[in-house]
Amino acid sequence: MTEKPVRDLIAGGFDHRRALEILASARPAAIKACAEKVLDGLGEVAVLANRTGLAMLPYEDTVRGTTFHLGEVLVAEAHIQVPGRDVEGYGAVVGRDLEHAMGMAVIDAAIAADQSISPILELLIAESAHQQRTDRERLRKVEATRVEMETF
Amino acid sequence: MAYVATRGGERAIEQSERLFREDLDAVDLDRVTAIRKSLPYLIDRVMGEASLYEPDLAALALAQAGGDQYEAVLLLRAYRTTQPRIGFAKPVRQPDLFTVRRISAAFKDIPGGQLLGPTLDYSHRLLQVGVLKGKAFAREPVIPADKPAPATQPSLTAWQKAQGLITDHPVETIPLEEVPDITRQPLLFPVSRAHKLQSLARADTGGTMALGFSTMRGYGAVHPTVNELRLAEAPVRLRHPRGTVFSAGRVRVSQAEIVSKSKSLELGFSATLGWNEVKVIAAASLDVASSQPDTHPAATEEFILYHTEPVEGSGFCLHFKLPHYVTFQSALDTYRRVKTDRDGAVEKAPPAPKVAPKKKEVTQ
Repeated sequence: MTEKPVRDLIAGGFDHRRALEILASARPAAIKACAEKVLDGLGEVAVLANRTGLAMLPYEDTVRGTTFHLGEVLVAEAHIQVPGRDVEGYGAVVGRDLEHAMGMAVIDAAIAADQSISPILELLIAESAHQQRTDRERLRKVEATRVEMETF
Repeated sequence: MAYVATRGGERAIEQSERLFREDLDAVDLDRVTAIRKSLPYLIDRVMGEASLYEPDLAALALAQAGGDQYEAVLLLRAYRTTQPRIGFAKPVRQPDLFTVRRISAAFKDIPGGQLLGPTLDYSHRLLQVGVLKGKAFAREPVIPADKPAPATQPSLTAWQKAQGLITDHPVETIPLEEVPDITRQPLLFPVSRAHKLQSLARADTGGTMALGFSTMRGYGAVHPTVNELRLAEAPVRLRHPRGTVFSAGRVRVSQAEIVSKSKSLELGFSATLGWNEVKVIAAASLDVASSQPDTHPAATEEFILYHTEPVEGSGFCLHFKLPHYVTFQSALDTYRRVKTDRDGAVEKAPPAPKVAPKKKEVTQ
């Protein structure tokens, strides 16, 4: 894959890792709608892979520090090529949603091609806020279960 | 053991499956969704034992199997074989865990505090029979705290190691591709710790609990206390073709550290896919019990790991109901031959000499 300058991998303050994580956890309808918009301006796309597969999840034992395999996670992935732009895009999400993975790959390719950044930024900002809000609300509920144990 | 191919009965077999399915409701998307949403702990149990994380597929397996967990695990394990392995995620470490429950029964004041999280531990176990009369079981909403709990919590053992309470074992770093994997290699004894923890992670919940319980009752040299129990979500971090490592989403995991207060503080560990507390507590107890010298035979690694494999165990038990006609016929032939030989031996044997009955001695 052609290496792009780092600046091309950054969109509106979201580095590549952060952008990918937001996209992977984005609401499927939002990411698919954005990908549809982006796809029009991207040009011809070649699909290298769009499949489900297994990702083995290693885990570190806290007692002896042994790394072992916890089990496999079903993952949907998509890998595309945009020959006209000389870029590739990749998406992977936990689960079986191939369209979500494809939408992610399309947006990833668009970021690499510096194409349609405005709707992508809009999506990243909205989904990032939604994910942070969801986690925060959940952790406020978890905090409500904090217990101070007394001994008698 | 001998097996024999049987012929015939195709119609009966087909009708028997139809009869099985007739007793179930229709299996459709709504039903699968309802199972996934309403029975997450059952879904977790099946995914953990199948060693495959995909809640929709686990719900489908349960629906198809009519709730038979071993059938559901078998369906998922079979499905797994149809999927390519696309790679290894990055190892999950404690600072990665989005933690929703973390408690310790050994230490009251642990760094980060105790978070009960979602649990029925201290609840009354009352069956809501009103539901059967049409009165819905109302769920009281959680009253959230003003501030959120920290998303991650430190490992309790890290604190204990820093305090010098437990041994800080040197960590052996090996490339991910070389981490032993029982889906690719046979389970051999003495077992590597990686194989042991992986086997326990995919072990049968009931079997693990039974063996763990036996060690707790005295068939083992450990006296377990829960050092830390945690329910969390772990990120599945994959590598983008350009090299960026990112989380493709989270999966539910549970883990337990068990401390045994025998001669010194010794710890056992277990983790599994999904939220399954009884399994990780029992498995971590078995981890420490099986690490003891001269342990009880039922707490040895070989006994535990061979007998808690759910597909092998259920498969072996259930295979006895399948045709064993040759085996059984052979046994019957042997019994008949032995009986004939014995009867013949009795007939051919010379008559026993007649011995005059002893006169009863009468003493005066």
